[in-house]
Order: sequence, then structure tokens, then C-alpha cells
Amino acid sequence: MLGRLYPRTAGSVTILGEIALWIALPVALWGTVVSFAGGRFGRSDLVLSGERTVHMVTLLLVLVSAGIIAAFVGNRYEYFYVVNYSNRELDTYFKVAGLWAGQRGSLVFWTVLLSAFSSIAVFRNRRRNREFMPYVSGTLLGILSFLLIVLLFADVNPFERLGFTRANGLGLNPQLQNYWMTIHPPTLYLGFTAFAVPFAFAVSALLTGRLDSRWIAVTRRWILLSWFFLTIGIIFGMRWAYEELGWGGYWFWDPVENASLLPWLTATAFLHSIQIQENRGMLKVWNMVLVVLTFLLTIFATFLTRSGLIESVHSFAENLRIAYIFLGFMGGMAVVAAILIIHRLPSLRSENRFQSFLSRESAFLFNNLLLVGVAFAVAWGTLFPLITEGFFGETRNVGPPYFNRVNIPIGLLLLALMGIGPVIAWRRASRSNLLRNFTIPLAAGGVTLGVLLALGIRHGFALATFAIGVFVMTVVVTEFWKGTKARARIAGEGFLSALGNLVGRNRRRWGGYIVHAGVVVLFMGLAGAAFDRRVVQELVPGEAMTVRSALGAEYRLVYESLSHSRPRAAEDMEENDWRWTALMTAYRNGERIGILRPERRFYPVMDQASTEVGISSSLLEDLYVIPRELDSQSDRASFEVKLLPLVPWIWYGGMVVAIGTLVGLWPPRTAPATAAARRRAVRGAVPAGAAG
Amino acid sequence: MSVLIGGVLLAAGAMLFVLEPVFSGRGAPLYDGDDDHDEGAARRGVALAALRDLEYDRAAGKLDERDYGRLKAELSREALRHLEVDEGEAGVGGPPPDRASRELEEEIARLRRAIRQGMQCSACEHVNRLGARFCGRCGEGLGAGGGGPAVRG
Repeated sequence: MLGRLYPRTAGSVTILGEIALWIALPVALWGTVVSFAGGRFGRSDLVLSGERTVHMVTLLLVLVSAGIIAAFVGNRYEYFYVVNYSNRELDTYFKVAGLWAGQRGSLVFWTVLLSAFSSIAVFRNRRRNREFMPYVSGTLLGILSFLLIVLLFADVNPFERLGFTRANGLGLNPQLQNYWMTIHPPTLYLGFTAFAVPFAFAVSALLTGRLDSRWIAVTRRWILLSWFFLTIGIIFGMRWAYEELGWGGYWFWDPVENASLLPWLTATAFLHSIQIQENRGMLKVWNMVLVVLTFLLTIFATFLTRSGLIESVHSFAENLRIAYIFLGFMGGMAVVAAILIIHRLPSLRSENRFQSFLSRESAFLFNNLLLVGVAFAVAWGTLFPLITEGFFGETRNVGPPYFNRVNIPIGLLLLALMGIGPVIAWRRASRSNLLRNFTIPLAAGGVTLGVLLALGIRHGFALATFAIGVFVMTVVVTEFWKGTKARARIAGEGFLSALGNLVGRNRRRWGGYIVHAGVVVLFMGLAGAAFDRRVVQELVPGEAMTVRSALGAEYRLVYESLSHSRPRAAEDMEENDWRWTALMTAYRNGERIGILRPERRFYPVMDQASTEVGISSSLLEDLYVIPRELDSQSDRASFEVKLLPLVPWIWYGGMVVAIGTLVGLWPPRTAPATAAARRRAVRGAVPAGAAG
Repeated sequence: MSVLIGGVLLAAGAMLFVLEPVFSGRGAPLYDGDDDHDEGAARRGVALAALRDLEYDRAAGKLDERDYGRLKAELSREALRHLEVDEGEAGVGGPPPDRASRELEEEIARLRRAIRQGMQCSACEHVNRLGARFCGRCGEGLGAGGGGPAVRG
């Protein structure tokens, strides 16, 4: 719209964006140098200059992003990047999303998010944690400088011109023309980039030698924020795959999916192991390793997604050289971090030892080992094709069976730990502690197992998931119940306000339990895959097909009609897509539950076809209809109908996880201890004769 | 042309903004005198938090008296040791160990009384002295609405 009304304005914004990109690099390099120098030599003017640089780079990168969006919206088909990811017919909504549709824009987007988070971190700490801040700015600006160098000199400049102007663009990959696809990458990128802040603080702690838990306390909320976005980003991605890839699955162990899972796994391990450091002064080296590893994996995920290093269903292969540049950067960072950690080893010694195998510390340590184990298995499977190619000259894929065989058992152990960790005693659990806390949950799990066996379910992993899931759920509910009761008794509060206050006083802990409950629901949703049903049938309008679900419901689908929007006249040829839509009425146990519109689309500009599935969701299962062939001559159609029990639980579980994380993330009711508040406290308290 | 002028202005503005501190000599603080940074205080905080959790676990019925007693003794001993190590490192100027241990004992006792009588600040979780009406750290009122018991979940 902007482009149509103000074509010249849009063009100017784009050119200004390009100029801003060139200005940003020297500014960022300056900031990197002066920040480190300011910290090293105690020059406060240089430190301030470095911090201003962070904000300036953010402003410049916002202009760069605006320039790219203006080029998309303004249909500037003289730019290579715009031509490859847009066309005139595309909705404005997807044009704006063009910023992160391809490799070049994604890099800009990553960079602008990183600089925005850097600005927030610098601003929030303008009067706090000052000894860390020069190195924090320096580290963040160093990363930003690297990204800017890549953008300008590695053949990925988003403002590269073709030398002529095309009449139209090549269009956006149809699979990317989906609502979830516009929000899934930004969410993941927010998660990736937010983690740079804890990493920068860790580097700063290593450089300054302040190696107590301070850097962890300062970045705890950043870690949670990053984890929040990573988690919902991954779940959005699953949702996108489920709706758009059209095969009834949500996770394929695809390299790109794996790449986003890797930093999530190590970040989850980190979130748990920092609690051991804070409570017991242990695992300091391990935490440093995890924070560095997670940061490197966010970088790895970013470039793997957009580099074409490994072919995947996402297949956005574009520029392989950039993969090597990023690998070099990761290697360099890893070496620097390793040198710093080794240099500081004497100060990173544990203050305590593990006292017993049966203790909360051990549970956390196992959790860490398992999460890192999964990360290693996933990384191995993802890189396997590269490794075989490098050593044996042929590419071999391991495929989903490998990932499932390795990861499902580990996943179940992790699930069990979620029930054990929160209630087992710190240091050393006694028999009495174990009996008191595990009798009821174990009994609940056992009863679940018995009932499911009696119902005739024999799928081992599904049985284990439900039994362990109920065990964990019972632990979590009991924790809430006991805590609330204790509080209500001591404080004389009503049940609900006791519950609210309980959670409010220690949001991190109770938010964590809510997350665990959500993960249980999510795991049960995943286990539902053991009971999938699938029927393929060819129908003419008026005919019906029947499928019985594993949960006992009978579904009937009546194929009503086929409509198509295939253009007849030449002027319609410019439509973005042509559609063949089947109309089906769905019944469950004889009751009408809705109309489904499974659809086949053809994108003439891209010369590609796509499938849009019809989904009818209920609390317990999804009815999932894939149109396989729709013949507009005879109106005959063949459908693949799937009944997917418990898939909705994946999304519900995801929501609970998100809510739990937000509970942990929410700021305390009052900001603690500012000088002004202290003075107020003294003034307020002294006349009353009871200063605290 | 106007775009180019815009670009030049942008570059000049960026330089001015970033270089100004170097020319004017203005600087950002290099240290902050916040006592939250005190390592001894941080460790004492962790020790107290662990003791507080212990009190809570006992109240919730998750620990029997034997476990409670054993863990409490261990935690107190350890907290004390941390404190003494810190005092030792600090050298002259810090309070002598016996005073430090007294302080901690007092603090733990105060905490346990507070747990029963409701002197932990609901806003910042600071454990206040008995009878305090306002939080000594953040100034929040500790009356009917402000100071809840320190049952930490």
C-alpha cells in the first residue's frame, strides 16, 4: 500500500536503510574496541561511548529493517532479495514477513533483534552491575560487528541490486504462506538472540573474575525470557508443520527442527544447573560450559536454518560459503571461551560436594546429563549426513527411527525426574523423606498403568508415558496442595488467597512446577501418536466414509462437492494461487461436528502445488483430512483421513508451559531496594518507632 | 539527492552521539556502591533461603522431625562456615567470627519467629525485625496487607 501510494518514499526508505547498514559497521567496531578498552583501563568516557554505540547500532538496524520492508511493500523488483521472496500478488502481510523469509533478511532480522536486546540490557544496567557492563557491551557489539561484516561482505547483502528491474518477483514459497510461518521464525529468533545477553554476562564474569553467582542472578530473567521464546517458537513450528506440511505429523527430526531443539535442550539444562550453583556453589565450570554451548548453538541454529549446509524439508539452500564463515566464528568463540574458562579454573572450584546419590542435587545433575545426552544424540543424527559424506564420500541419513529410538527412552527418564527432583530432599534424602513424598504419586502411576493394561493397551512407550505422567502430575498437584494448606494454616488465609500468595512469593519455583505440569500434558499428547488411525478412500460427491478412532468414537465424513477457483480468463492468471476445495461434512457418533474444506492449491508464479488439510479438533483428538487427488473434471476425489488422538494436548500443554514460564518471568510486585525506597522506608518507619 | 543528504546527516549524527563522551569527558559509572554485590551477603542470603525452605518443607509435612533436625544442623553449620571464610578473607575491618556467628544465629532465629509471626516483606522478601511496621529494605508496609508470613514455596 505504502508502495502504491508513495513509491518514491518507499524507495528513499530503502536507500536510507542501505546507507544505515554501511554506517552501522564502523560504529559497531568502534563500540567494541572502546568498550573493552574502557573496561580494561578504567576509562569511563570510553565505556559511555561504547554504551551509546549499542543504542546507535540498534537505531541504524531498525532503519535497515525498515528499508527492507519498504522494498518488499513497495514492490522494488530491482533488489535480488525482494525478487526471490515476493511478488506483486502477495498479501502485504506476507510481504512484511519477507524480512525473515530468506537467508539475507533473516540475518538482518537476527541482528536487529540482538541489538534491541543489547540496548535493553545496557539501559537496564546503566546504574547497576557496572563492573560487568563494559565487557557486556563489548561482547554484544563484537557479535553485532561480526554479523554486520557478514551482511556486507559475504554475498548476502539484502540490498544487492540485479542491475535491472524485473516486472514481478518470483513469489514466496507456498509453504511459507501461512499464518504460523509469519510468527514462528520471529519467536524463535527472539529466543536465540535473547540468550546472547546471559552469554555476554558470562564472558564478562570470566574477564573481570567476578565468578560468584552474581552474573547468574543478573541474567536469570534473560535466561527465562530466552527459554520462553525458544519454547513457544518450537511449538509454533510444530503447529506450522502440522497444518501446512499436510501429512498429519508435527515433528520430523528435520535438521532445521533439530537445530532449534539443540539450544533449547542445553538452555533447559542450564536453567536447572544454575540452581545448583546458586544453592550449593557447585557446577560452576559446567554452567560456564553450558552458557557458551547454548549461545554457540543459537548461532548454529540460525545459520543452519538459512545456509543450506544440510538439505532439509525446509530447504532454503542459498549460500554455502556463509556456513563456513559461521562455523569459523563459532570455532573462534569456542576457543576464546575455552581459554577464558581454563584461565579461571582455580576460581571456579566447587564449594561443596555431592553427598548422596539420593538427593535433589543428583536429580538435577541427572537431568543435565540426560538433556545434554539428548542434545548430543540429536546433533550426531543431524550432522550424520555431513560426517558420512566427509569420511566415506556418500551422504547417509539416519531418519526419524534413529531419533525416536534414542530420544524417547531418555525423554521418559527426564519426565520421571520432573516428578522426583522437586520433592526429593537437598543433600541427602532419608528413607522417611522418600516414603513421605513418593508413596502416593507412585501409587497413582501404578494404578494408571494397571487401568491402561486392563483396557488392553500394550504399547510400551505409551504405557510408560501415561504412568510416569500421572506420577509427575500427582507430585506437582500434591506440592501445590501441601504448600497451600501449610500457608493457609500459618497465615490464616483462605485457600485461594493462600494459593495466590504461595505462588506470588516464589514465582520461580511454582512457575517451574506449572511448566512441569504442561510438559506432562505435552508428552501425553506426543504419546497419543501410538494410537493413530488412517484410512484412504476415493469418493464421488454424495458418498461418505467412516473411520473409528482408538478412543472409541466413530467419525463419518460426507463428501459434498468440489469447487475450484482455477481462472478461466487470461486476466485472472495473475492470481497468487488457484484453489480446488472439497467440501465435507463431518459427524462424530452421528452428531454433526462441522464442515471441513481440504484444499489443493497451485501457485502459478512459483509453479508449485500445495495441500491444505482440513482439521476438526476436539478436546481429545483431531480429525485430519488430507486431499490426495481432486479431479475437477469428474469431481472424484481421494482422501486420506487420519484420527490423531491427544494431538490437541500438545498445544494445550504448550500453553501451560508458556503460562508457567510467564509466572516465573513476571517481575516482583515492587522493584527491590532502590536508594529512594530505602530513604522512604527510614522516614516512614522511624516516627512509628519500628525501623526494619 | 535528498536521500544522500539524509544519509550524510545520519552518519554525522551517529558519530556525534557516539563520540561526544570522549570529547566532553563525560562518562558512565565504572562501579556501583550497591551492597547487594557483597559476596558474604549473597551467601548468607542463600543459606537463609535454604533454611527458610527447610522451615516451609517441615510445615508442609514433607520432612519428619529427624530429617528436619539433621538438615537444619548441616545448613546452619555450612552457612556459618561460609561466613567465617568470608570474614577471614576480608581481613581486618570485618566483625570477628564469634560476632558473625551470633549475628547469623540471631538472623535464623528471627527468620523462624518471622515465619510464625509474619515479618517477611511481601514485596521484596526481606526478613524484617520483629515488630517492624515497614520493610527495612523497600519501605513496603508490613501491616495487615503488607507483611505476610514467610512461607516460601
